Amino acid sequence: MALLTAPAPAPVAEAGVLKKRRKLHDDLTGHGFLIGAVICFAVFMWYPMIRGLVMSFQRTRRGVTTWVGWDNYVRIIDDPSFWIAWRNTFTFTGLALVLGFALPFVVAIVLNEFRHAKGYLRILVYLPVMLPPASALYLFKFYAYDPSEAGLFNALLTAVGLPTSEWMQSPAMTMPAMVIASTWMNMGGAVLIYLAALQNIPGELYEAAELDGAGILKRIWHVTVPQTRLILALLAMMQIVATMQLFIEPLILANGAGTQDSATSVAYLIYQHGFFQNDLNGAAALGVIMLVVLAAFSAIYLRLSTRGDS
Amino acid sequence: MSVPQYRKVAALALVAGLGLSLTACSTKSDDGGTDAAGKVTITVDCQPVAAQKELLDNWNADVAEFQKQNPDIVIKSISVGQQCNNPPDFTARLAGGTTTDVFYGYMTDLQQVLDSGQAMDITSYVSKDTVATWDSVDPALKEVFTDGGKLYGVPVKNYSMGLVYNKTLFRKAGLDVDNPPKTWPEVRAAAKKISATDKSVAGYAEYSAGNTGGWHFTSLLYSQGGRVLSEDGKKAAFNTAEGKQVLQNLKDMRYGDDSMGSRQLLQWGDLLTNAAAGKVGMFIGAPDTTQAIVSQFKGRFEDWAVAPLPGQTDLAKTTLGGGEGYFFKKDLTKEQVEAGLKWIAYQKLTPGKGQFDYVRAKPQNYPVGLPQPLLFAPGSEAQKQEVELRKANANVPIENFQLFEDKQLPIVGEPRDAQAIYAILDSAMSGVLTDPNANIDTLLKTAEEKVDQLLAAGS
Amino acid sequence: MSRTLVSSTQLRRGRVLYWGLLTLVVVVFTLVFLGPLYWMVTGALKSGQEIAQTPPTLFPKDPQFGNYADAWNQLDLAKLLFNTVYYAAGAVLFQLVLDTSAAYALSKLRPAFGNAILGAMLATLLIPAMVLIVPQYQTVIDLPVLNLSLIDSPFAIWLPMVANAFNIFLLKRFFDSIPDEIMAAAFVDGASPLRTLWSIILPMSRPILGVVSIFAVTAVWKDFLWPLLVMPHPETRTISVGIYAFAAGTPQNVVVAASVIAALPTVIIFLIFQRNIMSGLTTGSLKG
Repeated sequence: MALLTAPAPAPVAEAGVLKKRRKLHDDLTGHGFLIGAVICFAVFMWYPMIRGLVMSFQRTRRGVTTWVGWDNYVRIIDDPSFWIAWRNTFTFTGLALVLGFALPFVVAIVLNEFRHAKGYLRILVYLPVMLPPASALYLFKFYAYDPSEAGLFNALLTAVGLPTSEWMQSPAMTMPAMVIASTWMNMGGAVLIYLAALQNIPGELYEAAELDGAGILKRIWHVTVPQTRLILALLAMMQIVATMQLFIEPLILANGAGTQDSATSVAYLIYQHGFFQNDLNGAAALGVIMLVVLAAFSAIYLRLSTRGDS
Repeated sequence: MSVPQYRKVAALALVAGLGLSLTACSTKSDDGGTDAAGKVTITVDCQPVAAQKELLDNWNADVAEFQKQNPDIVIKSISVGQQCNNPPDFTARLAGGTTTDVFYGYMTDLQQVLDSGQAMDITSYVSKDTVATWDSVDPALKEVFTDGGKLYGVPVKNYSMGLVYNKTLFRKAGLDVDNPPKTWPEVRAAAKKISATDKSVAGYAEYSAGNTGGWHFTSLLYSQGGRVLSEDGKKAAFNTAEGKQVLQNLKDMRYGDDSMGSRQLLQWGDLLTNAAAGKVGMFIGAPDTTQAIVSQFKGRFEDWAVAPLPGQTDLAKTTLGGGEGYFFKKDLTKEQVEAGLKWIAYQKLTPGKGQFDYVRAKPQNYPVGLPQPLLFAPGSEAQKQEVELRKANANVPIENFQLFEDKQLPIVGEPRDAQAIYAILDSAMSGVLTDPNANIDTLLKTAEEKVDQLLAAGS
Repeated sequence: MSRTLVSSTQLRRGRVLYWGLLTLVVVVFTLVFLGPLYWMVTGALKSGQEIAQTPPTLFPKDPQFGNYADAWNQLDLAKLLFNTVYYAAGAVLFQLVLDTSAAYALSKLRPAFGNAILGAMLATLLIPAMVLIVPQYQTVIDLPVLNLSLIDSPFAIWLPMVANAFNIFLLKRFFDSIPDEIMAAAFVDGASPLRTLWSIILPMSRPILGVVSIFAVTAVWKDFLWPLLVMPHPETRTISVGIYAFAAGTPQNVVVAASVIAALPTVIIFLIFQRNIMSGLTTGSLKG
């Protein structure tokens, strides 16, 4: 056992050969525990990573696979939907950051201040997470976003005298509408994590800030935010990666592409190429492009967030 | 640590690995299909789903009867959903090699099936001896399942598009139910009247999502005499005066007259739900959509009638036809292919049996009398028998379909790569139906560009 | 209770404001989070005509309970729910066994190349699922070496879920916090690594095991595209995919009725165990 040999003094009498053999044996034991997970990683993660890259330079037709160089990439980028899909995806990610990332934080701060009804409110916020995603989205599609006056949102808007919207049928509203639905069904998790983070903030910090004459907003800015900074950064990153993979919302709310590609996301485009247009190689190429974009994005994000530290 | 301990871990890993391979094996199709007792087993898909209760009962009864007549054949029915060929699922089954031995497909699927390498050449198996009515089957339909002189599938159903209209709403709007619109301008005028009578009703409804928009664009284009692809199938051919006219007609109805309702982005079930709820005056479809409206969406049969497809100045120049058939999976044994053919011949191609068992269907909540499936060539022996049986057992007012049946328009099949092209054309349809400022030229140009690209990539 | 953003004295001074705000938040939250659920339950009871009515009705005028019966029978919801539970249970089991032992090896046994392996695992965290969906699908269709297809087999869901670097990382971090001395003592007593894992490490790790289990269940519950692709057969579908596939050819109110029924079991389980789930999620994920 590495554990035993390293810190604990080894018996002086033990010969070098024996020690080596024992080390080998311990390694084997360790790998025995690892093997199951390693096989799963190898088969379902590491191998597909390489295979995806390889596939993106190949083309399979009638069971025959040939190397085609950059053809798949050229075809994917030439697709008029390609740039629209990226624009849509970034729009969704941006809106989701404002709504899906900031809103849970505000909700958590408010909930954390209440001395009553806390459990009830927490359950409420988390309830939508329990619905199967398809169920929650059909709820929005059929009732909330019905473009006629019979729709729930339109009825509410009419009731307060605001103009109605065609929601998923209106290219301008497609993305906001999807963000609203997505936030509603997913924010519970983020609220809970923030709540836990807030509870770990030492009360003395607020005390001290208050003595310095800081108002509520100032206290949030100077105590709450810095104290939860790590978790905020982590969740922001996770949120961005998750929203970049936008798929089920356009599929169900907009029957796929929406109106004139207003709902097409990059993930949906991958699905469309792979499973509607029978072009798995093109889909693999688009996957590689997505990876490159996300990697570039993560690099910038890391650079920015570390610079902020120094 | 002791050696036995290490063994335990290894054994654990092994068990995990074994469990994997064992269960994985069990998901593969059984064996050669023939067991020790000489019984041949074949799997067949497109068994009706539970929602189509009577159809399912009929299917199961057919299987039981067939197995009684052929004690050495076992039919395993698989249901793959209400829509037997939902394109992504179908693609997944082809790619994954999980199709049944005898599997359902659209007429437009031949290229994709061949691409996947899953289909078997059944030319040498199919003849009058294996399928008694084979010589009566419309040669045009056989052609659809033929590639390079080889037959890959057996057609079992065929349809062509017409104008489906709601007689009750027609009467309410003061329109003549026996004289439905013959041209698109007449459709527009009628739709306007229907919507004016009841604001919540769409005078004319149209698809624009889930590939059905592209499918209907194609039908509308055919009615104008246009084509989706060029003669050689290498270029898009819909960015023409005919294509523009199609979108212009829709735009005029949607935004000029507001006679298409406010709910758009409809796909198959959405439109039929609305139709069944009495909220759709007219739409284009095959006669059997009325059947779906009644049996799945709880509509009423007496409301619906079908007329020939309208055209711009007279009836449609051509109408879209399509249909279904069964393919045979590669690597089946001779016995399995023969058993499969026998089953299809029995259930799908014999007047008086299976899908043509009109005596059984008559008392069911399932229409008999529709001018469908148009499987047998006009004038052939089987066709005469089928028509006779159908007329004798009709349980729906045949006159509702008389106009359609009397005027058979020339049928044009679907383009190659149909589903992929339909997905692209959805966008043009949704554009014109949801954006009052949509530019028809741009919509068609974008779609043309995408289709050209798709075709270039495929060849 | 320790103080938070607003101090208790401040609260006492602004009592009216506090209660006013609390009432407002409770009302708004109830409307926002329960309102849609009410709409869903009652909407499924409305007829097709009533749904299209302007303005929408608050109570169904002529409740159509048949919609719920239709949904249950036609969709075979029992089967779909069973499938989903089965996949979730298997995912938990596989993750608990394989990921826990892997994290244990990486944290305590530290075999040669352990860090390299951990690094290769963590690298997959940077790769979003969507990027790998096509090659993963190709892999599942035709497993390398074995040439097996896992399509329609539950292993197509269970095994890829084991390759979850985040959970291994959580578990390893937790095991790291268990002092090595405890292990050393056990070894001196002659306990094997497996025995140590089973009777010393695991009992101490209940909270993190709970978190990993909850994550596994939620992942199966929420996943959509993967089961859509690898479970194409109606008999093997998950609840979410089943409802989606069903929606294409079914009246709206029946689809909604199916959605309601599908949501019931989890909502009930959640309400019963909410205290455990909530505390498990919050403490566990923070420590991780």
